[in-house]
Amino acid sequence: MNNSIFELTDVSFSYLNKFPALCAINAHVKPGEKIAIIGANGCGKSTLLHLLDGLIFPDKGSLKVFGRELTEDAFDDEKFSREFRKKVGLVFQNPDIQLFCPTVKEDIVFGPLQLGIDFKDIEKRLEELINVLGIKDLLQRSPHQLSLGEKRKVALASTLIMDPEVLLLDEPTAGLDPLTTRHIIDLLLSAHAKGKTIITSTHDLHIVEEISDTVFVFSHEKKIVKSGSSAEILKDDQLLRDHNLIHVHSHHHKGAVHVHSHQHLDHHH
Amino acid sequence: MFKKNNFIEHSIQGVLSFLKDSIFSEEVALKKGLLQSLDPRIKVLTFLVLLLQVLWLKDVRILMVFYGFCLALSCLSGVRLWFFLKRTWIFIPLFSLFVAIPAIFSFFTPGDAYATFHVGGIKFVITSQGLAVALLFVGRVLTCVSFAVLLSLTTRHFELLKVLRIFKVPQIFVMTLGMCYRYIYLFVEIIEHTYLAIKSRVGVSVHTQKGQRIVAWNIANLWTRSYQLNEDIYRAMLSRGFTGEPFVLNEFKIKTKDWLWVSWVVMVTFLFIFLNAHIKI
Repeated sequence: MNNSIFELTDVSFSYLNKFPALCAINAHVKPGEKIAIIGANGCGKSTLLHLLDGLIFPDKGSLKVFGRELTEDAFDDEKFSREFRKKVGLVFQNPDIQLFCPTVKEDIVFGPLQLGIDFKDIEKRLEELINVLGIKDLLQRSPHQLSLGEKRKVALASTLIMDPEVLLLDEPTAGLDPLTTRHIIDLLLSAHAKGKTIITSTHDLHIVEEISDTVFVFSHEKKIVKSGSSAEILKDDQLLRDHNLIHVHSHHHKGAVHVHSHQHLDHHH
Repeated sequence: MFKKNNFIEHSIQGVLSFLKDSIFSEEVALKKGLLQSLDPRIKVLTFLVLLLQVLWLKDVRILMVFYGFCLALSCLSGVRLWFFLKRTWIFIPLFSLFVAIPAIFSFFTPGDAYATFHVGGIKFVITSQGLAVALLFVGRVLTCVSFAVLLSLTTRHFELLKVLRIFKVPQIFVMTLGMCYRYIYLFVEIIEHTYLAIKSRVGVSVHTQKGQRIVAWNIANLWTRSYQLNEDIYRAMLSRGFTGEPFVLNEFKIKTKDWLWVSWVVMVTFLFIFLNAHIKI
């Protein structure tokens, strides 16, 4: 029996039929997997997540979700549409896009309200989430009054409250301070421990090992050039350098000039 | 940097600070006061009743009592009196004084002469009737504006939008307005940052023509950004299950305090209707 959540076969996508964003992508995602998508800016990571969330659809190739072909027409089936939205949640790269309601509370409960979840259940989930994320004091505030870290937490809460089986995250730690980054990673790990499938796009290499078992590396040609275990990928300096994920760095150390690859993974002493 | 007295700089900064202060500052609405504690639906409905009464009043004295009542309400709601007077009086010359001035002269309102003067050989007569009409008009505008400003100061803007639902305004319309409110702030920030970015690069002074070109380019850029944002937000809504008919949180609750306020407004209404009918001008 095929138990894949996502099956992508030669998937290609271009914006306005002119600007290629993904070229011949092949990938399989199984339940409970932790996957990181890494690559330089503009290599198609966000586009792939939008495809997986059924927001855009392939120009070529096949994308199957839970064994069903994911096409625009599939969303005409109300039951499928509702089930899909319940099962797959996306945290957008720009929290200002995701937080469109006048208050934080309304933003967080927007998803479950659309999905017809009972209000008592919504309140229960909300209570749990705001305690875990420490955002109780923000509920009545407007999203524009929040800091970037707070916005990211609220955006995450607005997806987590839907309790999706698959969590897609587009650069969840970009621009955050180390403590907030840690907090978000812990949340993702705890969601994974509960059996969620986590797919994270990032170019923050120091979080890759923790948030993924499998890594897809994207090239400038909008293709997956390599996939493998996080340990294997992170060891491959040449691959990471070729795709703008690390750079050669020189500095003075103990009276000598050191030149080495720098990937913000660890620091030698 | 732009020149110190640069017209574009002054305009941009003036508009942005006005928007931030008047639209996005909810300092008063978040205070604990009488009007802030009321259910927004009740508050809007009762304020409408009060405004209608103001429009029907024919006696300036009763009108002034109403105005005093409005000032008392503002004090009870933690609004500083001087701030409130500044906010309301700024509109009065604009909306009424200039319109009312001609009415005091005998050309428009004939009647008993109150004062007479000559300008350039033309005789101007201010009539008692004209003065009364102008006073009543200015009084009505002043009181109406004061009530309207008090309502908007003591209610969070998104709550005011939600109240539109009681007038059967479709949910999608109310939601779109709420989103406009949310994103205007984002655009204000974008304009501010773009302006600072330009300021840091263009040098000491900008020729007016070049300045105009920069502003025009920014307007176009903002339009493109808003178009892109519109598409992205729609996707974000779809992603969370939106199918065209939005379901939103409705947390308004009518409490005992609201009913007490309603009873009070009803009593005041009857009292003023009675006085309005029995007091002779």
